[in-house]
Amino acid sequence: MRHPPTTSIAGLVFRTPYWIFTGGLAVIFLFPLGWTAAASVSPHAGTNQTDGWGFGNYRTLADYQAGIWQYLVNSAFVSLTTVVLTLAISLLGGYAFARFTFPGKNVLFLTTLAILMVPYATMLIPLYVLLNQLGLQDSLLGVALVLTMFQLPFSTFMMRISFEAIPRELDEAALVDGCSSWAALWRVLLPAVKPGLITVGLFAFLTTWNDFMAPLILINDSNRFTLPLAVSNLRVQVQGVIDYGATEAGVVVLALPCIVLFLLLQRHYVRGFMSGAFKG
Amino acid sequence: MGVSMMSGRDRRSRRRLSPPSPARRGEAVKGWLYVSPTAVFVAVLFVVPLLLVVRMSLSRWPLLTGDQGVNAPDNYTKVFNNRFFADSVVFTLKYTVLATALLIALGLGLALLVQESSRWKGLLRASFLIPSSLGLASASLLFYVLYSPFAGPAADLMEKLGWTFLGSPNAALFSTVFLIVWRFAGFYMLLMLVGLQGIPAELYEAARIDGASRWQTFRRITLPLLRPTLALTTIMCVTGSLLAFEQFYILTKGGPDNSTITVVQLIYTMAFQGQNDLGVAAALSVIALIALVVINAMQLRAFHNPDEK
Amino acid sequence: MKIFHRRGGLRSVTVVGLSVAVLALAACGSGGSDAAPGAAVSVAADGTDDGSQLTLWTRAPLEKQAKLLVEAYNKSHKNQVTLTVVPNDDYVAKVGAAAGSKGLPDLFAADIVYVPNWVKQGLFRDISANIDGLGFKDSINKGHLGAGTVDGKQHVLPFVLDLSMLFWNKALFKEAGLDPNKAPATLEEYAAAAKKIQALGKKDVYGTATGLNCGGCLVFTWFPSVWAAGGQVMNGDGTQANFTSDQSKKVFDTWRDLWKSGAVLPSSKDEAGPTWTAGFTEGKVGLMFYPATLLSSTKFDVGVAGIPGPGGGASTFVGGDGIGISKDSKKAAQAWSFLNWMMSEEAQIEVLAKDNDVVSRGDLANNKYAAKDPRLVTINEVAGKGQTPVAMNFQQAYNATNSPWLSLVRDCVLSEGTDLQPNNQQITSVLSQ
Repeated sequence: MRHPPTTSIAGLVFRTPYWIFTGGLAVIFLFPLGWTAAASVSPHAGTNQTDGWGFGNYRTLADYQAGIWQYLVNSAFVSLTTVVLTLAISLLGGYAFARFTFPGKNVLFLTTLAILMVPYATMLIPLYVLLNQLGLQDSLLGVALVLTMFQLPFSTFMMRISFEAIPRELDEAALVDGCSSWAALWRVLLPAVKPGLITVGLFAFLTTWNDFMAPLILINDSNRFTLPLAVSNLRVQVQGVIDYGATEAGVVVLALPCIVLFLLLQRHYVRGFMSGAFKG
Repeated sequence: MGVSMMSGRDRRSRRRLSPPSPARRGEAVKGWLYVSPTAVFVAVLFVVPLLLVVRMSLSRWPLLTGDQGVNAPDNYTKVFNNRFFADSVVFTLKYTVLATALLIALGLGLALLVQESSRWKGLLRASFLIPSSLGLASASLLFYVLYSPFAGPAADLMEKLGWTFLGSPNAALFSTVFLIVWRFAGFYMLLMLVGLQGIPAELYEAARIDGASRWQTFRRITLPLLRPTLALTTIMCVTGSLLAFEQFYILTKGGPDNSTITVVQLIYTMAFQGQNDLGVAAALSVIALIALVVINAMQLRAFHNPDEK
Repeated sequence: MKIFHRRGGLRSVTVVGLSVAVLALAACGSGGSDAAPGAAVSVAADGTDDGSQLTLWTRAPLEKQAKLLVEAYNKSHKNQVTLTVVPNDDYVAKVGAAAGSKGLPDLFAADIVYVPNWVKQGLFRDISANIDGLGFKDSINKGHLGAGTVDGKQHVLPFVLDLSMLFWNKALFKEAGLDPNKAPATLEEYAAAAKKIQALGKKDVYGTATGLNCGGCLVFTWFPSVWAAGGQVMNGDGTQANFTSDQSKKVFDTWRDLWKSGAVLPSSKDEAGPTWTAGFTEGKVGLMFYPATLLSSTKFDVGVAGIPGPGGGASTFVGGDGIGISKDSKKAAQAWSFLNWMMSEEAQIEVLAKDNDVVSRGDLANNKYAAKDPRLVTINEVAGKGQTPVAMNFQQAYNATNSPWLSLVRDCVLSEGTDLQPNNQQITSVLSQ
């Protein structure tokens, strides 16, 4: 794996194919996004940007129905609620699964993981019925609850291994010092599982921010639509004709916060994944 | 780690705690307290709806009119008699094998490529990871435009060649797989990187001193020690691919000529596009769930390392 | 922003409340049966306008017209209608989820080809008494009214009409030496014109275009040719396909010949709908069967006529959406106020016709807005001659991406004249389920 230092000219020549190869790979990964961003401001027939470069497609998006700000606010509300709920539940759940023995532990853990194995679309009709029974019809909170549930397999698993990676001596020492298990969690363990929490929170955000199916089925009032739903509404016009410009603009607006967050938090979630237990 | 999670500490603690004691009861109560939010969510929002799905699968349940009473096992018979059932199972398996093989290989390959830290490698790592931040639906929409013979960057070329990305069954399959690889390769690279970091550097050092070739080092050290990571990624990838829906729903709609219908897409079609029969859709969902549980159990067994005992 | 409806109260949902939830689910499971489908609505002739809040759902492609109508109604009435627009592909899922648990809005529109099924399933209320009370009942579009009529009871009124028409690019016609002011009168002339434009050999210009992987587009544009020639595509109650008729065969033969001759835009082969009109919109296609709703957004000079059949005639597919009062509405009288207003001369002319949309009343075809553009008069007139096919399983037989109709067309047009019979039989077996 290790390469000798490449300062000599010969080394440079030798390394050129490597630069081309890896650079090419990076381009393949970046090109689709770059092209979409460029296309969203370039002219194209059948869109709102037909002459010259400009932000016509973004204007379509901004003026759509309740206006993009409303959709952004709704999306942000659902995403943040889901993130907070996911963090709280998986922090406590992960702690319990990693540090306590209680009846039904394995059954509960495996049931949680089984959430991954059920087709999403099928669950939505029963969930719709259920939320109606709970008085949560047509509410963003209902959507957040559903999305939190779908986040649980990943986040519970992640938090469990994060806790398991911490040496037991750490909390045992705290317990001996007279801390309650709650205080031990809060004061001693929480800082240690922070990378795990960031990872869980980030992935909860990414999924929720982009989710389309749950709000589609569960929300009726257009003023409560989320951004992916609005983008998807904009996309198809009469007889199935597609507005490509608005689609591109929508993808860019949806992707931007995710990419920024993803890059900003890179260091943290890499550490989150590395917090040990993935090693087996 | 998923593979060993039921062994080790749990088993030990069960043995240790076999005589009931107040301390143990206290621990159990505390454990349940901490886990109760998870339990409530899983029970109310997963188990209850799942039971309703099972009930749907045993009843005549048209989408628009609701429950019309038990008709078991009609829905299951209808699933097996559906003219796309066999095709969709075969296609889903084909897609799963292809996507999993490519993603695991590429994930590992990219991880090896950017393993060490340097500025260039950091840049590479970031560019491989960026697509993973997109939602699958956004990514599919993006490629939908990209592949379009009308608005895509290769539109003119396609017109000249008379070939399109989604025009023939194989082209549609590979175009979709490319999208998936683009979207997920970075994520699997990340998991692989984590696994690679866990391999002690001394082992590589020793191999180098012994004069092992690069390939030998990879086969004898990297692969065996990466086994748990490979198991986790394979299971994740297989589960995700078997439930593939959005990418095909947006990109191919099951076409051309019904060649790219996945199982979940068939479920969606049965429920919402045509038959509008929730009973049959639920029956296929239950079948899919059982198949996934069996497949995952088999994978766990296959990956289980006998040395760990 | 109201985020949280506290109807049942969250507090009841504890682990103990779980059993309650299961019971509740069980109780609501039997929803449909006591919904009293078809319960007749009979209210004051022009409905009640008492400041109620009404909800209306429609699918995204009709957003423009729906919005105009709703805004105009809200401005002139105390009742206020809230519009919800749902993505086209997911409309059925959305309505289905709501219908199963009594959550439908007061008013909702439906793709007219799904209306017969939805009426039969009891999603719409019987509004025969009110419709009978309309003085102009006989001039309301027959296709839409007929689609919403089950057992002699009417449930649906035309919301937005979308017609398929023959559009031709006048500039390209002139270049090819064709008369830019005369529509091809038969399908044969249509094919000849397409080939002539193709023969220009201009870069990126094609004779005609269609969506050969789009069941909905093919239904919309090819059925009228069969009708124009006096044929039928199905039997009266839509349980039997009839694509082995001479008229249908001639239509398929003409298109196979066109495809083979290379006069069809190549991307038509895989076109699943999203861009099936794009070629014409960009001026790259000589003539095609095209949705009339796009007339206002077509920037260059086009001619418009009814769709001809083999040997002549003219017809159209009267598509678009019908609208009715849902089974779940508790404000039927107020909802009727909207429907009654929507059919009025004021709404039809000052909202729809003004926006260059097709009016749904034959007696208003020749209105002041249409008079400015004779093409609109043509469209309005052909609307009366068109048909709306009725079948319970229309979606599954034709529109679905895996429909047997799509297989029939692809087998028959793209490959060398296969036997129509087995595919026709497959459609019949879906239709008659």
